[in-house]
Amino acid sequence: MIEFEYLLFLFLGTVLVNNFVLIQFLGICPFLGVSSYVETAFNMGLATTFVMTMTAFIVYLVNTFILEAFNLVFLQYMAFIIVIASLVQLVEMVIRYVSPVLYKALGIYLPLITTNCAIMGMALMIPLEGYNFIESIVFGFAAGVGFTLAIVLIAGLREKLQFEDVPESLQGVPITLIMAGIMGLAFMGFAGMITV
Amino acid sequence: MKNLISIFRNGLWAENPVFKLVLGLCPALAVTNTVVNGFAMGLATSFVLIASEIVISLIRDYIPDDVRIPSFILVIVIFVTFTDYFLAAFFPEISNALALFIPLIVTNCLILGRSEAFASKNPLHKSITDAVGMGIGFTWVLVVLSGIREFLGMGSLMGVDILGAEYTEMIIMILPSGAFLTLGAMVGVIKAIDRKVGARND
Amino acid sequence: MADQRASIKRLIFTLTFIGVFGSLFLAFVFNWTNPYILEHEARAREEAILTVLPDAVRYEEEERNDYTFYRGYDEQDQEVGIAVEYSEAGYQAFVYVMVGVDLNREEVVGAHVLNHQETPGLGARITEEDFLNNFRDLPVGEYEVVDSPEEEYEIEGIAGATISVEAVKEAVSGGGMLIMEHFGGDR
Repeated sequence: MIEFEYLLFLFLGTVLVNNFVLIQFLGICPFLGVSSYVETAFNMGLATTFVMTMTAFIVYLVNTFILEAFNLVFLQYMAFIIVIASLVQLVEMVIRYVSPVLYKALGIYLPLITTNCAIMGMALMIPLEGYNFIESIVFGFAAGVGFTLAIVLIAGLREKLQFEDVPESLQGVPITLIMAGIMGLAFMGFAGMITV
Repeated sequence: MKNLISIFRNGLWAENPVFKLVLGLCPALAVTNTVVNGFAMGLATSFVLIASEIVISLIRDYIPDDVRIPSFILVIVIFVTFTDYFLAAFFPEISNALALFIPLIVTNCLILGRSEAFASKNPLHKSITDAVGMGIGFTWVLVVLSGIREFLGMGSLMGVDILGAEYTEMIIMILPSGAFLTLGAMVGVIKAIDRKVGARND
Repeated sequence: MADQRASIKRLIFTLTFIGVFGSLFLAFVFNWTNPYILEHEARAREEAILTVLPDAVRYEEEERNDYTFYRGYDEQDQEVGIAVEYSEAGYQAFVYVMVGVDLNREEVVGAHVLNHQETPGLGARITEEDFLNNFRDLPVGEYEVVDSPEEEYEIEGIAGATISVEAVKEAVSGGGMLIMEHFGGDR
């Protein structure tokens, strides 16, 4: 399979078939926390996608040229989390400068991108699956898109849910999880569509 | 002493990490397909939590305010790396079963959350108690969750076949969706219990 | 918490100190645990090789073209076959299979699943002996998964584990052909 085809399948596979949130269980905290409104969810998704793509890029370089070159693989988790934390810090400063309104809207959730297991999980999969440079970037981007897709879909549902009569015990977290479960079932339909 | 007991009990229910604080959900959903896995994850996370809270409580006076979050993260990642290699060396089956989710303990907001909210502000003995309480609180929820999933999904508990070969397994329980649905239902039930108890106390 | 406005130097120093101290600690942990980890891997690999080359009692590694092959020898030091690790994409992640080939008969004599992340109860059933016995004494080449195998190249699948089964089938096929490619004909 030529490289471009492979990249396309990698992209679609990561967004749909192996969706980070609904199938791989990564990124649940922000998924539950920021998904009340579509607009906030979308912005969060955007910021996360940006961080993910940049992370993929840098993680590949760090892993190949520093960790593996100098036999320091045991420092992998430390190195990766430092990369992620720094990038989030950077993104925070950029957003603050470019759009103070957005900065305020995202609030505490911006620094919390650091503890988004989806980013760390994605970073760890790069050496695990042995992606090369281009593949890593596509993978990181796709992971972000998949995450954004899941979070926006759930936000849309939650917005609609505000006008429904949800039993009090189920309000908030429980009903969101149940909806995610049903959505996960739907996404499972993609399984086998693309094998990468 | 009474203070310590209340700190301990806090983590078990009132401020239970999973269904009250809503932290640490990724592992709660991902590795609870069997009781053994859920329990192992709970233990691993508890270990990192306790170790981190101890260290952070001990060095809390030496860390400048501006770098406290990065410092905590560094301490946590050190213990997570240790746990990963330790499990890979001495418990390889568990290491394989939990796979990616061991390093992901780093991003478990429970540990960072407790370090920030508690260990950085409290002396050693209180921090240890908090960590143990939270750890057990986290672990028991994972064990119950995986108990339900394994029982309904495979008809067994801890690998022991209980319902026999005739049982048509509810495969969905083992799949991602089942995790979401089960946890959602569990949290809903717990919220209902809380409300009943609260209403009775009023 | 400590000083209100600590100098930049102090901030950097704190982080670096923790980082360096931690790295040294981890280097020590790594050195301590690595031998055990390698031992587990070696043992798993040995078990796999001896399973897929049924008559073998020991093996020797041989590298060709960046691939690592394993020659199996029986008690009389006769070569019994070649094994290789091959992986294909499964349902969740890659499925790693050890494939054993008897060069004389040009047949796959065994397959063993080394590592997988397939669904417990479904895809994970590819590790069952009943399924893996499908791959004993198969001619090297392409296979097809069917419900009731009749032809030589047909394999019986597992209900509800289509993708996982495909992955193993492709891996055995690929591994077998890889071995023949490197060792068939001239040795």
